[in-house]
Amino acid sequence: MLMIIIAAVFSTYAVYLFSLQIIKGLEYQDRARLVSQRIVPVPSQRGEIYDRNADVPLVINIDSYAIDVIPAEVPREKIDTLKTELAKILKMPLDEIQQRLSFDKYHLYQSVEIAHKVPDDIIFYIAEHLDEYPGVTWHKKPIRSYLETGSIAHVIGYVNDITTEELQVLYNKGYKPGDVIGKRGVEKKYDMVLRGKDGARYRTVDVRGRGIESGAQSTIEPELGMDVVLTIDRNVQRLAEQALGDRIGSVVVLKPDTGEILALVSYPWYDPNLFYQDRQGLEFARLSLDPSYPFLNRAIQSSYPPASTFKLIMTTALIDEKALDPEMIVECNGFHWLGDRKFDCWLENGHGEVNLFSALAQSCNIYFQTVGLEYLGIDIISDYMHQFGLGEKTGVDLAGEVTGIAPSPIWKEKAKNQNWVGGDTYNTAIGQGFTVVTPIQLANVVAMIVNDGVAYYPHILKEIRDPVSGEIVDSIEPRVLRTSTIQKSTFNDLKALMRGVITDGTAKVVITTDAVEVAGKTGTGEVGLEEHWDSWFAAYGPYDAPAEKAIVVVVLVEAVNEWEWWAPKAANVIFQGLFAGQDYEEAVDTLNLWYLRNQR
Amino acid sequence: MRSRSLFGFDISLMLSTLVLMVIGVLFIYSSGVTSSGVALSNEYLKQIIWVALGLAIMVAFVLTNYYRIGEFSIYIYLAFLCLLVFTLFFGKVVNGARSWIPIFAFGFQPSEFAKVATILYLAHYFEGIRPGTNDIQRFSVAFFIVLVPMILILLQPDMGTALVFIPIFLIMSYIAGIKSRYVAFSFLAGALLIFLSVLPAWEEYIAGTESIVVDILSSPSYSSYILGMLGVIIGLSSIGYYMWRRKYFYWLIYSFAIVLGSYGGSFVFRALLKDYQIKRLIVFLKPGIDPQGAGWNVIQSVTAVGSGGLLGKGWLNGTQSHYRYLPQQSTDFIFSIIAEEWGFIGSVFIFVLFMVIIFRGLVIVMSARDDYASYVAGGVVGMIAFHIFINIGMAMGIMPITGIPLFFLSYGGSSLWTALIGIGLLLSIHIRRYRY
Repeated sequence: MLMIIIAAVFSTYAVYLFSLQIIKGLEYQDRARLVSQRIVPVPSQRGEIYDRNADVPLVINIDSYAIDVIPAEVPREKIDTLKTELAKILKMPLDEIQQRLSFDKYHLYQSVEIAHKVPDDIIFYIAEHLDEYPGVTWHKKPIRSYLETGSIAHVIGYVNDITTEELQVLYNKGYKPGDVIGKRGVEKKYDMVLRGKDGARYRTVDVRGRGIESGAQSTIEPELGMDVVLTIDRNVQRLAEQALGDRIGSVVVLKPDTGEILALVSYPWYDPNLFYQDRQGLEFARLSLDPSYPFLNRAIQSSYPPASTFKLIMTTALIDEKALDPEMIVECNGFHWLGDRKFDCWLENGHGEVNLFSALAQSCNIYFQTVGLEYLGIDIISDYMHQFGLGEKTGVDLAGEVTGIAPSPIWKEKAKNQNWVGGDTYNTAIGQGFTVVTPIQLANVVAMIVNDGVAYYPHILKEIRDPVSGEIVDSIEPRVLRTSTIQKSTFNDLKALMRGVITDGTAKVVITTDAVEVAGKTGTGEVGLEEHWDSWFAAYGPYDAPAEKAIVVVVLVEAVNEWEWWAPKAANVIFQGLFAGQDYEEAVDTLNLWYLRNQR
Repeated sequence: MRSRSLFGFDISLMLSTLVLMVIGVLFIYSSGVTSSGVALSNEYLKQIIWVALGLAIMVAFVLTNYYRIGEFSIYIYLAFLCLLVFTLFFGKVVNGARSWIPIFAFGFQPSEFAKVATILYLAHYFEGIRPGTNDIQRFSVAFFIVLVPMILILLQPDMGTALVFIPIFLIMSYIAGIKSRYVAFSFLAGALLIFLSVLPAWEEYIAGTESIVVDILSSPSYSSYILGMLGVIIGLSSIGYYMWRRKYFYWLIYSFAIVLGSYGGSFVFRALLKDYQIKRLIVFLKPGIDPQGAGWNVIQSVTAVGSGGLLGKGWLNGTQSHYRYLPQQSTDFIFSIIAEEWGFIGSVFIFVLFMVIIFRGLVIVMSARDDYASYVAGGVVGMIAFHIFINIGMAMGIMPITGIPLFFLSYGGSSLWTALIGIGLLLSIHIRRYRY
C-alpha cells in the first residue's frame, strides 16, 4: 500500500510538473524574462520658453542630480546610520528622510528618491565614498532655471514635484510618481506640450538591480518637450513692470487685432528659482502667507469695481441706442438725490452743465447716473455689459481666470435675494456697486472698441517649436471670442470721446507722451474698504489708426490714497516706451517726469 | 560470509544515491555562479567534502550490525535529546531558528540527526514489546518518544524539521502493526491540528473575510468552554461505553478525542510558532498576499521551474537562479534550479532516482530479517519520502514553505549525513537480510 501511495504522489508531481513546464512553460518563460527586466526611465528634456522675439530663452534646464537609495541593498543594521549620514550631507531634516525611506520600503529593490537638486560636489563626494553609503545611487534630473525673473513669473509659473492629488487625476495621461509638473502659469497650462515623453532603457538585471551585460538591452528614445514661444515681449513686460513700480496692481498690454498679450504684469511677484533651493517648502510657505498674495496673478485672478472706466460701456449704450441727444445738457451740482439717498459727484462743487462729451471727459457721475436711470435702465446697461463680455471669462490661456460680476436684477435676486432698486442702477452706471471686472476683461473691452465690435481670445502662447530644428510646429491663430451687434459708427464716436478724455479731460495733465495719440478712460473706484481705492486707466493708441497698429494698455493699481492716480501715470510711461521704442529709463527721461526722477 | 554480504549490496539504491549527490554538487556549483560565470561561493567544494565524509560514515553504518546499534539506541536517543536542549540555549540562530551548534568553522544541526536517533530508538521500543498487547499503551509510549524531540525542535522554532517526525511515527507504527485506527487517529488529529492552527492566518491573509466561526475557534476566551464541552461529551460517551459496551460510544470518543486534541493543540501550536512561520505555511496557497516577503520565494521558485520548459535552459544558464531571484538556491530551492536548467526531462530523471531509493527502501523493509530492521528501514524510508515530497512540492508551489532540505541534493552537511546514515542503515539491513 505504501508503494501505491508513493507512486501516486510521484505521478501527481510529474503531472503537475508537466503542466508547469510544458503546458504553461512559455508563460513562465515570459514571466522570468519580465522579472529580470528593469525599465530605467530616460528623462525627457522639458521644452524651453521664449518670448515673442524667440532669441533668448526665458527658461532653460540645468543638469542636476537626484539621490536615490535602493533600500534592499542597505544592510538592515546600517540603515539608520545611512539615514543620519544622508541627512547630514544633504542638509535635510532626518524626519524627511525617515518619511521617504520608511520601514515598509526596506525590502524594495526599486530605488527610492531621497532628494533632488543635489549639487555636483555632494554627488562627487558620495561617489568617492561609496562604501560608506551602501545602496545609494543617483540619476540625472534636470532642473528648471528661470532666467527672466520678475513679474513674468506670473505668466511662466514654475514646476515642482507632482503631488499625490495631482497624480490621482493625471495618472491616465502618463504622469508618474516623481515627475515634475507645471504648477502655475504657462508651465501648468502647457505642461503636456513642454514635458515631452520620457524614454526608457530596458535592461536585464539581477535581483539586486545590477545590470547584466549579457542580458538583452533596448532603448526607447525620449521625446523631447516642445519649445514654447510666448506672445509676451520681454522688453514690454519689463517696461510695464517698471512703470507700475512697487505698487500692488496689474498691467495688461495686448494687441487688439489678434488678442496677443505683450505684457501681463502683476505685482507683487515671486522668484520661481527659490523653490528648488528650498526643499522643505519654507519659501513657499512664507509666500503663501504673505498678506499681499504674491501668488495671485491680479491680471486674471482678481476682480475690481471698474469705476469710471465703466462709463465707456455706458457711453456706448447711450450712443448705440440713440437714447438721447449727445448734446443734451445735464446740470451737475456735485450731488443729487434719489428718494432720500444722496449721491455725490467726485468733484465736490460739480461740473456745472455737461453734455455726453464733457461728461465722459470729466467723468461726471451725476450725468451718467441721471441718464443711466432715465434714458437706459438697468436692462439695457446689463445687455451692453454682456456685449462687452463682463461677467464672463475672456478665455485667456492661463489657469485660474475669474469671471467677475456683471449685475442685473435677476442676478441680484439670485445672489442677494433682493430686488433691484434705482440706487443700484446709479451705482452700476458709474462702475460701482456690484460690478467687478478683471484687468484682462477691461483690456478686452478696450480691444473690442478698437476692433469696432470684435473681441479676440487674449492669449499668451504664440508658437510651439521643435526643440532641435527650431521649426514651428504649431502657430496660434487669432480666434474671435465674440462679435457684438453694436454699430460701427458708435465705436467711431466712442473713440473720439476717449480721445477727448486725454485732450480735454481727466487724463490731460497726466498723459504727456508725444510718441502716440492715446485715447482712454480713467477710473478711481472705491473698493468698499476704508482707505482702499483702485486706480484704473484703460487706454489704447494711436487713437485713430487701424486696429493692426493699435496697442491696448490697461493699468490697475490697488491704491492707498485717492489722489496719486498712479494708473494713468504708469500708462503714460508705457505708451512712451512702446511707441518710441524706449526702455523705462529713456521713457522717463523723455517725459521728464519729476515724480519719477525723485524716486531714482 | 563476508563476500556474500558484499555481493548482496543493493547496487541500484547505492547508485541512485551517488548520482543524486553528484547532481547535487553540480547544481550547488551552479547556484553559486553568477550569470557572467564568476563563482561566488565555494559551497560546492564543501559539499564534495561532506559527500566524501558522508560516504565514509555510510560505509561505517553498513559495516556495523544494525542490531548492535539498536541495543545502544536508548543512549543515542537520550544523547540527542540533551544536544537538542543544549541547542535551545547555546545554539546559533540561522534563518530565524536556533538550530545550530557551531563546531570550528562549521555548523552542526542536531535536529537532523535526532530524526535517525528517534527512528533507532522507536524501532527498539516497538521490537521490545510484543504486538497486540495493549495497543493503546504501546501507541502512547511510542507517541511520547517522538513527541519529546519534536517539541524540542518546535521550540527552536524549526517547524519543518519537527513535522518530519510525524510521518516517521505514522509509518513505523503502521509497520509495527499498531491498529490502523490509532494510526488514522494520529493522522487525522495532526491534520486537523494544522488546519485549526492556520485557520486565523488563512482568514486574515487569504480569505480576507471575517467569519464568526473562525473567531470563536481561535479566540482563547472561548477555548475553556469549548474544551470543557468536548471533555463533557467524551466523559459522557465513556460512561455510556462502560455501561452498555456499544460500539458507537467508542467511535464517539474516538472522533471527539481527535477534535479535542487538535483544538487544544492548535493553541499550543500558535503559541510556539511565530506569526511569520504560520504565514509561510499557507502563503503557497496565494503567494500574492506577500509578494516581497514569504510569497517571493514561491513566486520566484514557480517561475524558475515553469520557465525551464521541456529541456531546460542548460546547466549554468538559468536566469532566475543566476540573476539571484531565487532565494536559498543551494539549500531549500535546489530543485528549482535543476528544473530551470534541466527542464522537465531532468526533473523526471530526479524523480526516477528518488523513486528507486524509496522503492528499494520499501523492498528492504519487506525483506528485512527481523522486526527491528523493518521498523528502522520503514522509518528511514518515511523520512526520506517526506523530505522529498515536501521539498519538491514547495519548489513547485503546491506545498507549504517549511525549510526542509532536499536529501542528497541540497547543500548542507547535517542533512546529507542524516540521509547517508539512513541509506547506510538500509544497506546494512539489506546485506544482512539472510544472516541469522
